[in-house]
Amino acid sequence: MRPDDYSIEVKNLKKTFQVRNREGGLFAAKRYLQIEAVRDISFSIPKGEIVGLIGSNGAGKSTTVKMLTGILTPDQGSIRIRGMDYRKNRRDILMQIGVVFGQRSVLCWDIPIVESFRLFRDMYSISEQTYRKNMDIFSELLNLKEYLYQPPRLLSLGQRTKADLAAALLYDPEILFLDEPTIGIDVLAKDRIREFIKVINRERHTTVVLTTHDVSDIEALCHKMLVIDRGSLLYDGTLQGMKEQYLAQCGETSATGEIELEHIIKQIYEGSFL
Amino acid sequence: MRKYVDHMTIGMKEQLVYPGAVWAGLFSKVLYLYLQFCIWKALFSDCLEKPTINRTDTLRYIIIATIVSTIMECNVTEKINAQIQSGNIAIELIRPIGFKRMLFARHVGDTAVKMICCTLPLIVLTTVTMQWCGADGLRLPFLQEWSAGTGMQLMCIDQLGYGILSLFLAYGIQFLYSLIIGLLAFWLIVTWPVNMFLGAVYRLLSGVWIPVTLFPELLYRINLWLPFRAVYAIPVSILTTEMKRKVIWQSVSVQMVWLVILYGFSLFLWRVGRKKLVVQGG
Repeated sequence: MRPDDYSIEVKNLKKTFQVRNREGGLFAAKRYLQIEAVRDISFSIPKGEIVGLIGSNGAGKSTTVKMLTGILTPDQGSIRIRGMDYRKNRRDILMQIGVVFGQRSVLCWDIPIVESFRLFRDMYSISEQTYRKNMDIFSELLNLKEYLYQPPRLLSLGQRTKADLAAALLYDPEILFLDEPTIGIDVLAKDRIREFIKVINRERHTTVVLTTHDVSDIEALCHKMLVIDRGSLLYDGTLQGMKEQYLAQCGETSATGEIELEHIIKQIYEGSFL
Repeated sequence: MRKYVDHMTIGMKEQLVYPGAVWAGLFSKVLYLYLQFCIWKALFSDCLEKPTINRTDTLRYIIIATIVSTIMECNVTEKINAQIQSGNIAIELIRPIGFKRMLFARHVGDTAVKMICCTLPLIVLTTVTMQWCGADGLRLPFLQEWSAGTGMQLMCIDQLGYGILSLFLAYGIQFLYSLIIGLLAFWLIVTWPVNMFLGAVYRLLSGVWIPVTLFPELLYRINLWLPFRAVYAIPVSILTTEMKRKVIWQSVSVQMVWLVILYGFSLFLWRVGRKKLVVQGG
């Protein structure tokens, strides 16, 4: 594979946070503790793939995503997005990535969402034609029409996430980062969001990096999986590959003969697998 | 450019979402102006009749300073603080747009609304009531106090051009000052205690409450070397007091120097702070 066929290439990524040592009190020998959020992670993601990034709470997923999206600067290591570096081509990269944080909204709280969309149109210099086309597609797939003229403060969480998703894809980004997009969302809305992501990935070959705690999200969407625990990368491969590895290593089978992904993930978090 | 205009309009619309707040803002300013006026008038009627301090000049200064404050007020510090504290700054940093410019665009939108909904009515109200109080026709009891200002010319019209230039510079300085304090949140996360302290210092030294000419000698001299007076004392003095052209240009140059210094410092803080950023929560 040629290097520019990769959407994302990460090499030896490290990030340490300094936290004040509260346990020791005022006169502790060490006033600050070093917490290694991410220690030496390397992976690459080819174009057009949907990759699930999973790990228990505090495993370093979010930190990794924040470094991948250029929000945090890594202490060491390199990140290349479509062959570009944040230090040199920050703006070019930002034009090509879409980000949705399930727990934060990018839309202006008090302003009708259509105006946030217009703001995106101008921020990303989207042509009127592309804007119209995308708005039509998203309106249909995500039912945006119903609440296009309402501000986010009046929307349900599901509606808001859909609107956020639309905003992140309005400028046809090549890579889409989804940080817990289905958190707190009902089953129907979840299905709709997943279906939407699939369609976008299929038709636009958008690379998707998905962080989630919902195993069904991963099963429904992902081709590949990255498992992170305590800042290290434990697994990088296909879902099927993981199941096979698990069977070979642990030899357990469930009653139906199928191994559930959730079961394997539990084993990983508990430390008895991988 | 259009993206910044969008941010400006969003800033305007955000101001107008809650009309009640706009009215309350105007009402509080009217009340504040009236209070300031009464206090200063009362002070002069008794003990403060020093030959060096001119009564009309001071009253004039106070009125104009209060009106100017409706344009100068800047909530950029609170905005940055809130964003850094909640971690929502993350979503601003992934946009292909300058964060500081975006804040400025929003602030300009914000100010445009304040000018229309607050500054303009205040100017009209002040001018009209001052004219009426002197006339025989209308003598409302609560407006009696105003009669002290009857016939008073509020501004030096021939210095208006310089005054407006100076106001623009002051506006920039005020924004940069708020930006810098806001950016301190990169290190402190919570800056409101700092805000409280600096806010108090700022109110005293900028001349929005008290004309700087009334300061004791030492304080006045210290203040000459600080940026605060560039926000209120300089533009308001140019607007209200007759000065030689040379003095005006000196004052304006002082403002320009501060603008450059604060701009440089804000850039520096941004560069360094950006690396220190810890995005809060999840």
